[in-house]
Amino acid sequence: MADHILTPSSAFMDWHPPATPKLAASARETLTMASFAAARGKEQALREAISAAYGAVLPKSAGRVEAGGIAFVWAGPDQWLAITEHEGARDLEAELKEKLTGIASVVDQSDSRVVVRISGSRARSVLAKGVPIDLHPRAFAPGSVAITHASHVGIILWQVDDAPTYEAAMFRSYADSFAHWLFEAAAEYVSAQP
Amino acid sequence: MRIACPHCGERSLDEFLYSGDATVKRPDFAGTTAMDDFVTYTFERTNPPGPHRELWYHAAGCHAWLVVTRNVSTHAVASVELARDVALAAKSATKDSAS
Amino acid sequence: MMKGQTGATGRPHMTSTHYSIFSVLREALRGHTGWGPAWRNAEPKPDYDVVIIGGGGHGLSTAYYLAKNYGPLRIAVLEKGWIGGGNVGRNTTIVRSNYLLPGNIPFYELSMKLWEGLEQDLNYNAMVSQRGVLNLYHSDAQRDAFARRGNAMRLHGVDAVLLDQAAVRKMVPFLDFDNGRFPIHGGLLQPRGGTVRHDAVAWGYARGADRLGVDIIQNCEVKGFIRDGGRVTGVETSRGLIGAKKIAMAVAGSSSRVAAMAGLRLPIESHVLQAFVTEGLKPFIDGVVTFGAGHFYISQSDKGGLVFGGDLDGYNSYAQRGNMPVVEDVCEGGMALMPRIGRVRLLRHWGGIMDMSMDGSPIIDKTPVDGLYLNSGWCYGGFKATPASGYCFAHLIARDAPHPVAAAYRLDRFATGHAIDEKGMGPQPNLH
Ligand SMILES: Cc1cc2nc3c(=O)[nH]c(=O)nc-3n(C[C@H](O)[C@H](O)[C@H](O)COP(=O)(O)OP(=O)(O)OC[C@H]3O[C@@H](n4cnc5c(N)ncnc54)[C@H](O)[C@@H]3O)c2cc1C
Ligand SMILES: [Zn+2]
Repeated sequence: MADHILTPSSAFMDWHPPATPKLAASARETLTMASFAAARGKEQALREAISAAYGAVLPKSAGRVEAGGIAFVWAGPDQWLAITEHEGARDLEAELKEKLTGIASVVDQSDSRVVVRISGSRARSVLAKGVPIDLHPRAFAPGSVAITHASHVGIILWQVDDAPTYEAAMFRSYADSFAHWLFEAAAEYVSAQP
Repeated sequence: MRIACPHCGERSLDEFLYSGDATVKRPDFAGTTAMDDFVTYTFERTNPPGPHRELWYHAAGCHAWLVVTRNVSTHAVASVELARDVALAAKSATKDSAS
Repeated sequence: MMKGQTGATGRPHMTSTHYSIFSVLREALRGHTGWGPAWRNAEPKPDYDVVIIGGGGHGLSTAYYLAKNYGPLRIAVLEKGWIGGGNVGRNTTIVRSNYLLPGNIPFYELSMKLWEGLEQDLNYNAMVSQRGVLNLYHSDAQRDAFARRGNAMRLHGVDAVLLDQAAVRKMVPFLDFDNGRFPIHGGLLQPRGGTVRHDAVAWGYARGADRLGVDIIQNCEVKGFIRDGGRVTGVETSRGLIGAKKIAMAVAGSSSRVAAMAGLRLPIESHVLQAFVTEGLKPFIDGVVTFGAGHFYISQSDKGGLVFGGDLDGYNSYAQRGNMPVVEDVCEGGMALMPRIGRVRLLRHWGGIMDMSMDGSPIIDKTPVDGLYLNSGWCYGGFKATPASGYCFAHLIARDAPHPVAAAYRLDRFATGHAIDEKGMGPQPNLH
């Protein structure tokens, strides 16, 4: 049998992101991600284990916390997504599995999702064209999370900072459709701006 | 019409899937009248013009199953509960009445 | 014209002008001052042989065929609002008989044949326009399914033509044939399908029934049934008690509500369907076109407006209006099929309440209550059925036996395993 070498490739076929001071987008494709869900009756034990290992308090409802370089994103009732840069050979699935043995089920998500970062003073207006939730700072701020969709593509959306910077995690196979929509939504803020 | 998911907050209708009447109860398949009961359960609906209890699924959100009480003549939503809580409450209620 | 007509003699009698080239000429010469109302606004009488509840297309056509084919009978149609205010005046006017299943094809083909002779029969211009109904296919699998449906139609003597892409391009060159996601490979055409002016159907049948002595009573809501033992003997209405030997329900989206008054629970859910009309344009779509990769169908009315619609909203509703996500979904379907529609302005949109059955097919049957007959489950396709529905329901009421062509539309078919599920969706009314 011939040898097959699988080389990682981008989830985007057509990637020409906006890059202006008011609006910029970038793709984060070198992440290690794992989802974890508490075993029945083990919610408290899970919180304690995460707090002991990373000093993080897991958000009870839609929210995101950062600790020790890892972002913990609420991903549904009693479920979270842990995300960090894939530096060195860091593997969050292996790491969490070891720390959460018997109290949570852990599944690797590194190759399942892509994270797109959108930032700048126009970011909110662009997202508002496709996301059916209120992004006004009163309703959505750094630390907020929403599981929703953008132009029919399911996303987990969170706000990183007040720039504002947002990140949207989506399944890889939808990434190109998302980008297609994003670039079209961004066009009016990118072209022919003085 | 918007639905306030207990987990996610008030969301647009296009995030949800309608999954039908929540008032019908799956009958006992071993009962002596099981055949008739299943026909009633599967096919017959009260279909009232006012308040209605129904199942909705937060498909493009947190994936929770919800029991929504809604006036189907005005589309006004009266309450949204987690289907899990409703089922657990029903279970403990039957336990209580049995003991 | 309104005076002196009792309508209860059971004998056919004339109450309105016969429409012809001569009556039009005569009226043209006297400034159109001589036209009378097309039907009498009748007052309720104490009792009738048959009371029909619901003055929509189906109630009126039932009254017409009952009087015409089985008279003399004393018949009343009780309508809670006004004639044409229900779904018969809210639909997108498409008529066709391109069904697949044995229980359906002969029935809808009978309806098509009745449409073809309707205007002469009623002496009324219902604008029957057999301009063709074209269902597009977008994949090999869909073509095969359409070929199968076309074959089933032809085996039943219904016209069907399977078209390839080139043939469709010739008919409707402006569609987005090479759409990346939903390329158009061809279509199944029923040339005899088309559109009929919806409210003219209500008016035509109302006039036809009235001329045969039927009392059409508007603003008369049925609020309960009068029972004598197991049998219904009359109705309580907002205009008093009305006795009847037989009572027939043809209330479409209100079926469950009215049946509940007789203690019945039906295999029906009420759902809202929306429709849309744009500003008037010069003629450019000859027939009816349906998108096969999403929920969108379109035709152009004689006034030039584009008439289009899509899917049900998907949840139980008795509000005659829908919600925005479906508006968006329908418009997206339109844009995928024919991007030029994006330049057109929408004039109006509205909703109607559909009597969605558990298998997507109708019910024309007796009920377990003696003397009470049911016509329901028309889903979003009952306009095309209007003539055959009335024709077969009249037969059932008069003879106490189903018309052979509608024999499959039994109320007990769910219990006996004889559901007629064209779409193969199972008992999920919002998916039919
Ligand atoms: C937006 C839309 C698009 C559609 N498009 C198509 C199409 O293209 N092709 C097609 O074949 N079909 C279509 N349909 C479906 C079709 O319109 C219906 O199936 C059909 O009209 C139903 O029968 P009807 O005409 O008798 O109903 P209706 O006109 O609704 O008649 C029922 C009547 O009963 C009356 N009523 C109710 N309760 C009572 C009571 N208690 N007492 C007295 N009267 C009562 C109502 O007021 C109403 O007038 C569409 C429907 C809608 C809403
Ligand atoms: Zn939710």
